[in-house]
Amino acid sequence: MAPEDDPSRLERLERLADDPALRRRIRDCFPDVVAAGPLDRRTLLQLAAATLAIGGLSGCDDDRVVREAPLLSHPELPPGRAGGEAVRIATTLDLDGYGLGVVATHRDGRAIRIDGNRRHPASLGAADVFAQAEILALHDPERWPAPGRPGSTGSRTAGERQLDAWRDALRGTRGGGAAVLLPPSASPTLARLLAALAAALPEIRVHHWSPLAGDDAAKGAELAFGRAADLVFDLREADLVLSVGGDLFARGPGRLRHAADWAARRRDGSRPLPRLLAVETGPSLAGLRADERLALPPRAIGPFLRAVLADLAGERRADPHPAAARFADDLRRAGTGAVVAVGAEQPAETHALAHAIHRRLGSVAVRPIAPLRPGGGSASILALGEEIAAGRVRRLLILGGNPAYDAPADLGFAGLLARVPESLHLGLTPNETAGLCRARLPAAHPLESFGDSRAYDGTASFRQPAQHRLKPCWSAEEVLARLAGEAGEGRSALAETWRPLWAEGFDTRIEAALEAGVIEGSAAEPLQLTWRDSFDPLAGPTAARPAGGFELLLAPDPSVLDGRYADNGWLQELPKPVTKQVWGNAALLGPATARRLGVARGDRLLVESAGRRIEIPAWPLAGHAEGCLTVSLGYGRTVAGRVGSGIGIDAYRLRTSQDPWITGAAVTRAPGRATVISAQDRFSQEGQPILRLVPTRETEIPEPAPQPSLYPAWPSGAPAWGMTIDLDSCIGCNACMVACQSENNVPVVGPEEAERGRLMHWLRVDRYEVESPDARSGFQPVPCMHCEAAPCEVVCPVNATVHSSEGLNDMVYSRCIGTRTCSNNCPYRVRRFNFTDPREGPYATPADALNPQVTIRGRGVMEKCTFCVQRISEGRIAARLEGRPIPDGEISTACEIACPTRAITFGDLSDPQSRVAASRQEGRHYPLLGELNTRPRTTYLARVEPGSGS
Amino acid sequence: MTADSAVQPGARQVADRALARGYGAAWLAALAVSGALIGLLVWTLGAAWIRGVGVWGVNIPFVWGFDLINYAWWIGVANGASLFAAILVLRRHDLRTAVNRFAEATALMAVVCAGLFPIIHLGRPWLFYWVFPYPATTELWPQFRSTLTWDFWAISTHALVTSLLWYVGLIPDLATLRDRAPTRWRAQVYGLLALGWRFSLRHWAYHQVAYRIVAVLVLPLILVMQSTVAFEFASTLVPGWHDTRLPLHFVTSGLAQGLATVLFVAALLRRTLRLERIIDDADMNLLGRLVLAASLAAGYLFLDEALSTWLSDPVRQRAGLERFTGTYAPFAILAFLLAVLVPQILWWRAARLGFWGPVLVGLSVNAAVWCDRFSLLIGGLQRGHLPSLGGTYAPTLTEAGLLLGTLGLFAALMLLFARFVPVVALYEVRHDEHQERT
Repeated sequence: MAPEDDPSRLERLERLADDPALRRRIRDCFPDVVAAGPLDRRTLLQLAAATLAIGGLSGCDDDRVVREAPLLSHPELPPGRAGGEAVRIATTLDLDGYGLGVVATHRDGRAIRIDGNRRHPASLGAADVFAQAEILALHDPERWPAPGRPGSTGSRTAGERQLDAWRDALRGTRGGGAAVLLPPSASPTLARLLAALAAALPEIRVHHWSPLAGDDAAKGAELAFGRAADLVFDLREADLVLSVGGDLFARGPGRLRHAADWAARRRDGSRPLPRLLAVETGPSLAGLRADERLALPPRAIGPFLRAVLADLAGERRADPHPAAARFADDLRRAGTGAVVAVGAEQPAETHALAHAIHRRLGSVAVRPIAPLRPGGGSASILALGEEIAAGRVRRLLILGGNPAYDAPADLGFAGLLARVPESLHLGLTPNETAGLCRARLPAAHPLESFGDSRAYDGTASFRQPAQHRLKPCWSAEEVLARLAGEAGEGRSALAETWRPLWAEGFDTRIEAALEAGVIEGSAAEPLQLTWRDSFDPLAGPTAARPAGGFELLLAPDPSVLDGRYADNGWLQELPKPVTKQVWGNAALLGPATARRLGVARGDRLLVESAGRRIEIPAWPLAGHAEGCLTVSLGYGRTVAGRVGSGIGIDAYRLRTSQDPWITGAAVTRAPGRATVISAQDRFSQEGQPILRLVPTRETEIPEPAPQPSLYPAWPSGAPAWGMTIDLDSCIGCNACMVACQSENNVPVVGPEEAERGRLMHWLRVDRYEVESPDARSGFQPVPCMHCEAAPCEVVCPVNATVHSSEGLNDMVYSRCIGTRTCSNNCPYRVRRFNFTDPREGPYATPADALNPQVTIRGRGVMEKCTFCVQRISEGRIAARLEGRPIPDGEISTACEIACPTRAITFGDLSDPQSRVAASRQEGRHYPLLGELNTRPRTTYLARVEPGSGS
Repeated sequence: MTADSAVQPGARQVADRALARGYGAAWLAALAVSGALIGLLVWTLGAAWIRGVGVWGVNIPFVWGFDLINYAWWIGVANGASLFAAILVLRRHDLRTAVNRFAEATALMAVVCAGLFPIIHLGRPWLFYWVFPYPATTELWPQFRSTLTWDFWAISTHALVTSLLWYVGLIPDLATLRDRAPTRWRAQVYGLLALGWRFSLRHWAYHQVAYRIVAVLVLPLILVMQSTVAFEFASTLVPGWHDTRLPLHFVTSGLAQGLATVLFVAALLRRTLRLERIIDDADMNLLGRLVLAASLAAGYLFLDEALSTWLSDPVRQRAGLERFTGTYAPFAILAFLLAVLVPQILWWRAARLGFWGPVLVGLSVNAAVWCDRFSLLIGGLQRGHLPSLGGTYAPTLTEAGLLLGTLGLFAALMLLFARFVPVVALYEVRHDEHQERT
């Protein structure tokens, strides 16, 4: 800035103020001020305050960031953006080696939000809970501050020196006695770098480990075809989907796309409703939404599928499950439109059976592709264990992951790791493995580094920074490049991979790919597979052997996955879709089994398997198969920061390399009870029409008759914001909940407060059992209904909650004195109260992760869903500045964007052309608790359930 | 006529107690105990003020806990007692000599306790004045459709009228104390409070009119106050609360509670201050019968509640069933047993005239109404319109401090009242004694 006493500056301002163009612009931007004429006291004060605020805000630029290079790779981005303006950066987040294309929102130097990338095939614009929660991981205050040995305060150069020392030492031995352990990944750049590393250091060993990356699917394809293959499903073309174990909608790299395609197909009125069948042990999201669901113990699932295949083949077996013939009939009817999706935890034979069924029916909606992510299973880490035990590993480099916590229990990896003389761990935050390594290197978050990945169908996409690094840290690509002797800085490793593939026009292509976030047309080619005639899928039992003792199914957790998200408050506090448990895990078991064991929810169970034992609270669950337990992994972390340490029970202690998913166990009742916290206690609708079912897509639910009211009807102005939620599409995945939490700075309260019933989610997803013998459920997201006759508004003594001209039920935090009466009078119970200060305590959201567009509420204040009023304002301002109406779809709420099945539609009800107005015209449309005459603006579309009453 | 010569033996006994030099060990001990409880109250309120109402067991949906239960309960004490006092004044009943003053005092002290809660239960209690209709720079007026705004007017009117009733009745006695005060300092304090009372006939005539006008004011107020508290629940959409019978339930059970409190305090004063001559057996007899009648009326309303729940729509039925059979059912059952069954001992004359009968009934009915309010506020909230809504409420120790603390505050205020102000109206005693002589 020029010196303040420079007189020419002021003169320039004067001249500027007289400029007619500027005057015109002022008149356009601030018509109120110009029209007001001579200033009154109020306007003067307002302007003075605004001037001060603008002056102050100009100092808000984050000066912690040293800008070495412009953040964004694409050159067309205007460099002189206004401060506070959002910049959207297409990038890729990786989950278990597969990419999910996302768009990161960057504001004022920080990445604050993750949405899906519409162009990415695995996302189609949706983002799951894990991708969205990465924002919290990015801004985790407990991230390693500096490289070096524990306790040292290293700098960037110290870290580089450390890496160079490793490189020199490795070069000295040509990599002999050294090993790299990293999670398997579909990333082309990582694969190239590993190859480059092997070329530079021929004797180095590369091992892979990720607890969720199994090899049963690959082995199943080997059984059937003699080679490994991944299956890609196109559920838009599937007339019938048989989901076998796993969770078609919640697990696996194609989960979001599966849900999106299935829902799109259900909505497509020109084609018949697709059927979804499920056979599984515990209720999965796909299973709960199925048309027919069968709960079987894990070891009975393979034989059941074989019985189905036998029936299809016309073989009559004596002993199959009675449902097998029914399922086979359904499959036969669907013919080429049938898909069998087998969960990753199912044994290889079950995967092979699915291949056999596809082959027999000639399924067209299934496309085999070459495996994208080699290195699954536990063979690789077992080999590493042997090497270490034999004393052949003197240097071990662990690039991410947490094997000391999640490696097979029979390996004893923690003990082995301690025996390695030189070990280096690359990780974001302190964890069990880092604590056992001799040295550590802070990892760059995926939102801070370049890289690439492949989606479930092979489509490649690029990862690029959405925020500058605030502290020295390195990505796995950078570490590998440096060890292999490459430059590895910035995007050079990425460019190295793609330059040879795009020899011509590389520069334009990489820019285009970085801008789009996705490389068009890079999906994997279908694989031509030949059936192995020596394999007979029908050789084997078609009925489960009577099991002695219990079967134990270990499963990834819907909230913390394999434990990597244990330190993430948003996910720990996210009610698990089925049980609604928060802050912990439990052993799920069937109600009859629970009665036999004499346990209720929270009673301790002693689970013993192969000499290893854990004590874990029981959780009887309707719809869970009898005689078996499901325990989710990922809990019981000992080093997971202030949020995740000591939460839940570690089930990895029972997990062996031989039987990573399904194993036998002895289960007895242990003395005592444990605290288990649930966000919902009753799952029955009790005969009320809450989650409505209709027999067909065309059924008309009668509109409730208008009732008299003491108050005049709310004038229907324009715009009139409203929302519809299609319960036929909702799969209960919780993506909307995390989207809302991230967008609206919804606080995390922690286990103690959660136990007291003080969860703060503005949007919750209720699960209700659908009346059926197979214990299926429906899900109902409940945000604020923005009632036109809002019961909360009339009871507030201080007018802290009032209606806006656009029909929003606004909450004025600064007026609220905290009587909490509004919550009492809300029949939907969507209002949340700040019983404690959300800015204090160990669970407070770090300031950097907060959305600057949304007020932080204080203690003693009520809050609730605002229909993302900040987005509405932003859209309205943009439209007004450009003097145009707001087109439908331009303003969307966070929950709407995140939803993989497009169940949520938001828009202007006064515009008859809008999608939301159209969906309110559907016959399935109904208001929740309409009989209370609250006239909600958020309404629902009933779920289509053939055979149901209306 | 000087005040000195006018003080009759019975009246002197009462007046002397207010003017006595010493305090007595029992009084000091009682004051110390209640003082300690006030300390607890200060600590509890401090915790809620500094750390927020999160220190209580409240949550969503149980947004109100001991704060509003105690509020509704203290209002019941205050209302019943002042209604009783007002009726006595208006009917010029014989009983008023004996119990008027402490019925009024009981009402006033209970209002003080009750009045704390609307402020301290707020999430941001320092902003309580925002419910006042004052010309704020925000140009924002209170929301007049809110029952909480009605409640603000009701409780402030109630406090005003109750203190007027108590104070107007007290003025002649303050003059007596002024004239009999042993020290100049005390004479000045009492004199200031006596507002220049000179025992002139004119004064007496005005006094009677004023006293009766205030008493008349009390009558509608009682119905309004209890009903407003009931409206806070009845006007919501909560299925277990949304009920037009609720105001009647509150008024009736509150009346039983207030009468029982007066009976309890009368028995206590009779025993501890040896006022058997003034609060005589006939008084106790009548009071006991009134309590019995009020408890029968409350019993009728309890049965009515069961009946109307049974006859209502399924959502309300479920809410009612949960209230009477669910987690918090013991409170509903205790409320019925203690409010209706225990007072039946008052059918026996011996129980009405003794010490333990009234004490037992007084405590029992008060406990019953507290349980009833708990059952309504907590038990009635267990079921909402959506079946998914659930959760439980467990009060914290800090929250229990609210109840104990206000009990201590009430006891301390009553102790100070009994010590520094005549507990029965001196002029009424004089009047009675004069009539007895003639």
